[in-house]
Amino acid sequence: MSDMAQATKRLRLARGGLLDLRNLGAAALLCLLLALPFVVGGFLLYTLTLCFANALGALSVSLLVRYSGEVSIGHSFFVALGAYAVAIMEKQFGLSLLLSLPVAVLLGIAGGIIFAYPSRRLSGIYLAVSTMALALALPEILVHSEKVTGGFEGLYVTLVPLPSVAKELQRYYIALAILVVACLALAQLRGSRQGLALLMARAHPSAAEAFGITRGWARVSVFAISAALASVGGAVMAFASSTVSPNSFTLWSSIFLLVGSVVSLNRLTLPAGIIGGAFLTLVPNYLASAGDWVPILYGAALVAVTLCVNCASDIRLLLARRERP
Amino acid sequence: MTIMADTGAHPLRADGLHLSFGNVQVLTDVSIFLEPGRITGLIGPNGAGKTSLFNCLTGLYRPKRGRISFGDIQLEDLPPNRRANLGISRSFQHMALSADLSVLENVMVGLTLSRTTGWVGAFLPLPASRTESVAANRKAMSALASLGIASAAMMTPAELPPGTLRLVEIARAMVCEPRALLLDEPAAGLNAVETRDLMRALQRLIHPGLVVVVVEHDMDLIMQLCDQIYVLSAGRVIAYGSPQEVRRDPEVIRIYLGDPDD
Repeated sequence: MSDMAQATKRLRLARGGLLDLRNLGAAALLCLLLALPFVVGGFLLYTLTLCFANALGALSVSLLVRYSGEVSIGHSFFVALGAYAVAIMEKQFGLSLLLSLPVAVLLGIAGGIIFAYPSRRLSGIYLAVSTMALALALPEILVHSEKVTGGFEGLYVTLVPLPSVAKELQRYYIALAILVVACLALAQLRGSRQGLALLMARAHPSAAEAFGITRGWARVSVFAISAALASVGGAVMAFASSTVSPNSFTLWSSIFLLVGSVVSLNRLTLPAGIIGGAFLTLVPNYLASAGDWVPILYGAALVAVTLCVNCASDIRLLLARRERP
Repeated sequence: MTIMADTGAHPLRADGLHLSFGNVQVLTDVSIFLEPGRITGLIGPNGAGKTSLFNCLTGLYRPKRGRISFGDIQLEDLPPNRRANLGISRSFQHMALSADLSVLENVMVGLTLSRTTGWVGAFLPLPASRTESVAANRKAMSALASLGIASAAMMTPAELPPGTLRLVEIARAMVCEPRALLLDEPAAGLNAVETRDLMRALQRLIHPGLVVVVVEHDMDLIMQLCDQIYVLSAGRVIAYGSPQEVRRDPEVIRIYLGDPDD
């Protein structure tokens, strides 16, 4: 049994808790972000707040890729669910973000399940194309249900949860807090019964069934979580930008979310989310003068990242082979 | 998702199974009776239908005709996850581990059905989900230790040789304390020491309530380990009996050693 005791000890060391280097990196980044408003202000703070919202969107696509191996080019639909939930709750009932956020989560879950159940047997390109249908249909739905959604004009989000604190600051901190909580929840999911089951269903669906994990359950669960996360991203986006309109939820926004996910290497950590979100937020901002070039530059960045990642894994393999003759 | 409460001994039996893919007849009138408390070997040349029979028992394949029962429960119409729910567990001939999970986590997948943490516990560090996770961890660890591979717990499958991965598969199949354990070529790729560890682990594992079936090409292992043996050839059961009886069976000798008249 000493073998087992030793292994248990190693396990504890490997999990290293707070001393883990990666955790330290994330903690350092968090401290930096927490301190930032004392140093900078105005436009940069606003941009970072949008970045947190986009980070949630990128993470939602990454989650789908990680846990089901599928790709969505329609996630702007779920983002819009959250964004409009916040705007409509404010317009109809006068509720601010913290009260409308649970509604956004529930809507996201429901939306994810309603989409995933009928499409549970699709995969790969077929599923991707069916998600595209969501993205294509969405702007039309929003424009035509003008009474609720405000049509082309969209809706404004002006309420803030804490009336006494500066709007800009609470937008920043609330968005950051939601992003951090989401990342912690995702870390918890990875080690949970469901997380392990989903990863097994992704790797070997028939083996997973032999342990009681059905494909349908796996697909619907992943979509529900991913859509809920996207919806939270949308809610934060509406709150951060104080307006929602159909323009922000086109097929292109879905594709950009996918790009953000790829740029962050489909990882589900705070730094990766920030990288994906920053890419989605900053690149169009700084390239605003580039006009038509934006999609091309996006494409180039996507190709570059994909190639670099492949190279990196090749190099890692090569090194591993050298070490183990 | 709960495991059935009763832990009584049930035989796993198949009667008159027919399975075909298109025009290819894979199983023809196969009947087997797998007794609890005994280790049953399933041998035969390549393509004899051993893995197909396994897949029929676990629900991955649906036989064209025939009945499968576990105790009093008819299994033919139950999907694989429902059969898993009844305590039927298996390992795979081709490695079916997730590369994203550590060895320990791969084994913990075997406990999925016995764990009850809900979705809230999946996202929040609730005390109940933590307790359950620690217990699952410990169970998986002791399953690995019983096969002598506890030191590999934190590694990923990519870092380990095929022999060890085979044992990880077996640890995953037995960690949930199944009532029927189906092992598909458990010793393939194992060295002599690993095979011996595996045999000891299986002998320790067997208890009066457990059905164990082993498909294997390693004759020494089968002859030492099994209480009874079925021999399959071209989709039919051609011999059945104790290792000694099977060893003496002229038909089995002909298949394994070739016909002396040829």
